[in-house]
Amino acid sequence: MFGSHKVKIEGELLEKVKQCSDVAGYESVDEFVIHMLEKEIKKIMPPEESNTSKEDVQKRLRGLGYIE
Amino acid sequence: MLRKKTNWGRVCALLCCALLPVLVLSCQRARGGSSSGKKMIILGIDGMDPDLLTKFMAEGKMPNFARLSQQGSFRRLTTSIPPQSPVAWSNLITGMNAGGHGIFDFIHRDPKNFQLYFSTSRVEGPKHSWQIGNWVVPLGSGSADQLRHGKAFWEILDDQGIPNSIYRIPANFPPIAAKGKTLSGMGTPDLRGTYGTFTFYTDDATAAAGAVEGGEVVQVEVKDNRVTSNLIGPGNTFRKDSPPATEPFKVDLDPLEPVARVSFQSQQFVLKEGEWSGWTPVEFQLMPIIGNVKGICRFFLKQAHPRFQLYVSPINIDPANPALPISTPASYSRDLAKEIGEYHTQGIAEDTKALSDGVLDDKEFLEQSRTVLSEHRRAFDAEFPKFHDGLFFFYFSSLDLNAHMMWRHTDPSHPAYDAALASQYGTALEEFYQQIDQVLGEVLAKIDSDTTLLVLSDHGFAPYRRSFNLNTWLLENGYIAVTSGAPSDPNEPFAEVDWSHTRAYGLGLNGLYANIRGREREGIVDSAQADALLREIRQKLLEVRDPKDNSQAITRVDLASEVYQGQYARTGPDALIGYNRAYRAGWKTILGAFPPDIFEDNSNPWSGDHCMDYTKVPGVLLSNRKIDAETPALTDIAPTILAHFGIAKTRDMKGQSVFGPH
Repeated sequence: MFGSHKVKIEGELLEKVKQCSDVAGYESVDEFVIHMLEKEIKKIMPPEESNTSKEDVQKRLRGLGYIE
Repeated sequence: MLRKKTNWGRVCALLCCALLPVLVLSCQRARGGSSSGKKMIILGIDGMDPDLLTKFMAEGKMPNFARLSQQGSFRRLTTSIPPQSPVAWSNLITGMNAGGHGIFDFIHRDPKNFQLYFSTSRVEGPKHSWQIGNWVVPLGSGSADQLRHGKAFWEILDDQGIPNSIYRIPANFPPIAAKGKTLSGMGTPDLRGTYGTFTFYTDDATAAAGAVEGGEVVQVEVKDNRVTSNLIGPGNTFRKDSPPATEPFKVDLDPLEPVARVSFQSQQFVLKEGEWSGWTPVEFQLMPIIGNVKGICRFFLKQAHPRFQLYVSPINIDPANPALPISTPASYSRDLAKEIGEYHTQGIAEDTKALSDGVLDDKEFLEQSRTVLSEHRRAFDAEFPKFHDGLFFFYFSSLDLNAHMMWRHTDPSHPAYDAALASQYGTALEEFYQQIDQVLGEVLAKIDSDTTLLVLSDHGFAPYRRSFNLNTWLLENGYIAVTSGAPSDPNEPFAEVDWSHTRAYGLGLNGLYANIRGREREGIVDSAQADALLREIRQKLLEVRDPKDNSQAITRVDLASEVYQGQYARTGPDALIGYNRAYRAGWKTILGAFPPDIFEDNSNPWSGDHCMDYTKVPGVLLSNRKIDAETPALTDIAPTILAHFGIAKTRDMKGQSVFGPH
C-alpha cells in the first residue's frame, strides 16, 4: 500500500552514519536513518494534532508533583 | 633483474608501530580524547538552598561544605526566570536564558490548538497504523524528542575532544548524541509515558477507585486469603483504542500473620507488612510473539490485615533493557545496572504524589526517597573512581524533592504543619543535606590540585503556604470572559472561556499569556497593544494583597521582552509572574482551571517550593577556587566550564566565566 524505496549510502557518509547511530544509542543504522528522516519531515510538514488525547496529556502532566 | 623480496611481516609491524599512536588517539577522540591534564568536577544538587546550607554549616552539621566554603568560595547563584528546574538546568546546560533554549516552564502549549505538553521532551506513539479487527499494527516507530534548543556544554567539549560524563542532568531526555557516558534524568517518563503513575490495590470499599493525582486506586477482593489483580502497563498501541497492557499477579495472605507471598510472571517473593520488595522485572505482552515491552517496579505491602493495601511503584523503564533511549552509549544504562543493581530511571523518582494523595505516609515516603538517594550514591561510588580526565558531572535530586515534601515539618506557620509529625520528621530534610555533605567529603578526599570543583544548585527554596489562582484573578478583573457567567466545572481547563472576549490567560507555574491575534488559536489582542496590556496587568498584580494578612502576593512580573534574548524569546509566556515567598500558583490554575477563590491555603504535603520571584530563591555556587564573580548566575556555568578547558564560549552564551576578571 505504501510501497518502499531503497537509498544507497556509502563511503565516508556511511561511516559517519554508523558512528552516529552507535553513539546515539540506536539499535541499527536503519532505525537511525528513519528517525532522522522523520525529524526532517516534521520540520517541513508540521504534524497534525497529536494522536495523544488532551486528557492523556493532562493525566501525564498531573504525575508531576508541581501540579494537581 | 633480481627483486628484493619484501618482508611483509616486518612492513606490517613497522606500519603498526607508526600507526598505533594515531589509532590510540582516534579511539580516545571517539570516546572523549584528552584534556591535557585539566579536570573539573561538578556536583549538581537540585534545590540546595543557601540559607539552609549556611544554617547547617553554622550548626556544625555539614563540615565538608564548611571547609569548602572557608578554603574556597561560596556565593549565591542567580537562578533562572522563572526558577523552575527544567528552565534552570537548561540555562546551565546552554549558557542561554529561555529565549535561547526555548524552555520556559514545566508546561508548554501549542497556541494553535492548545495542546499541552511537558516542556523538555515529547514521547509519541506511531502516527500511522494498520488495523486488523481489534489489533492495530503500527507502521513506523513512535518517537521520543528532545525539545531543548541550543548546544549543550558537553557537546562543545565533545567537539574539542575533552572527555566527559554527565550523570542524570535534567532536561536531557532523550539524551542527545554524545561521545561520553550520559544518563537521562528529569524528564524521563515511566513505562506508561507519564511522569510517575503508581498503583494502589486495596479491598477498602471506602477508598475511591480510579485515577488519583499521579496514580490509580484499584479495588480488589480478598477471597480465601488471596487477591488476584493486574499490573497496569503502557497503552497497548497494538490494540484498538490502545487499552493499557496488563499482566496478572496474585497475592496470598497468611491468614494470621502480617505476611504475604506475591506471585507474578515467573517470580515469587514474600513481603512482611511494611516491607518493600527489590526491583521486580515485568514484561508486558503487547502482541503475541512479536511485541512486548519490559520494565521494573517495586511492591510495598502497606497492610495485610485487617485491610489489604498494596502499593506498586510506577513502572520504570528497565535500565538493563530500556524501552526508550535513556543513555549514551545505549549500553551504559545496562552496564551501570550490572555494576550497582537496578535503579530508578524515572526522571523524578521520589513518589511525592503518593504522599500527597495519602497513599504513602511520611515514614513510607522517606523510605522510598532514601532508596533513591542510596541508588544515586551507589552510582556515584561506581563512577567517581573512574574519573581521571576532563569533566565529571553528577546530579542529586534528593534535596529538592524532600524540601518540597518535608518543609511543613519545620514551619509552624504552614497550614499543613502538625506538631506530632514535626517531632518525628522535623530533621528529615537536614539528614538529606548531611548525606550530600558526605558525598562532598568523598570528593574532597580524592581531589587533586589540578582539579576545579564546582558544587551548585539550580535554585533555592521557600515555604509554599498560600496559593494564588491567577486565572480566577484574571476572570474577576475582566481579562478573561466565560460564556455562561461562571465555569460549570472549576477543574476543567479553560472551561467555557469565551476567547472572543479574553485578553490574557495564565498557564504553567509562572506563565501569563496575552491572547494575541494571529498567534493564539482565537486571539483578539493586537500585537501592537500587547505590551501595554501586559504592563497594565503587571501594575495591578503588584498591588494585589492577600486578604488574610495584607501581604504582597506578587513581588515582580517580568515581561518576556525585558528578560529573554534569543530566537525563541517570543514563543513562550509573555510575562513571568514572580510570587513572593510563601506564595505560588494554585494547583488548578496551572492547567487553566478556575477555582472559586483567588487565594487559598495550601494544605498539601507539598509544602515548600521555588516557582516564585527568582530573586527570592537563589541557588548556591561553591568552589575550591576563588570565585571572582560577585553575583554569578546559572548562565555563567557553561562559559566557566568551557574557559576551564581553554575553549571560547559561543556567541549565544549570555554569561562569562566566574573565574577571572569581571
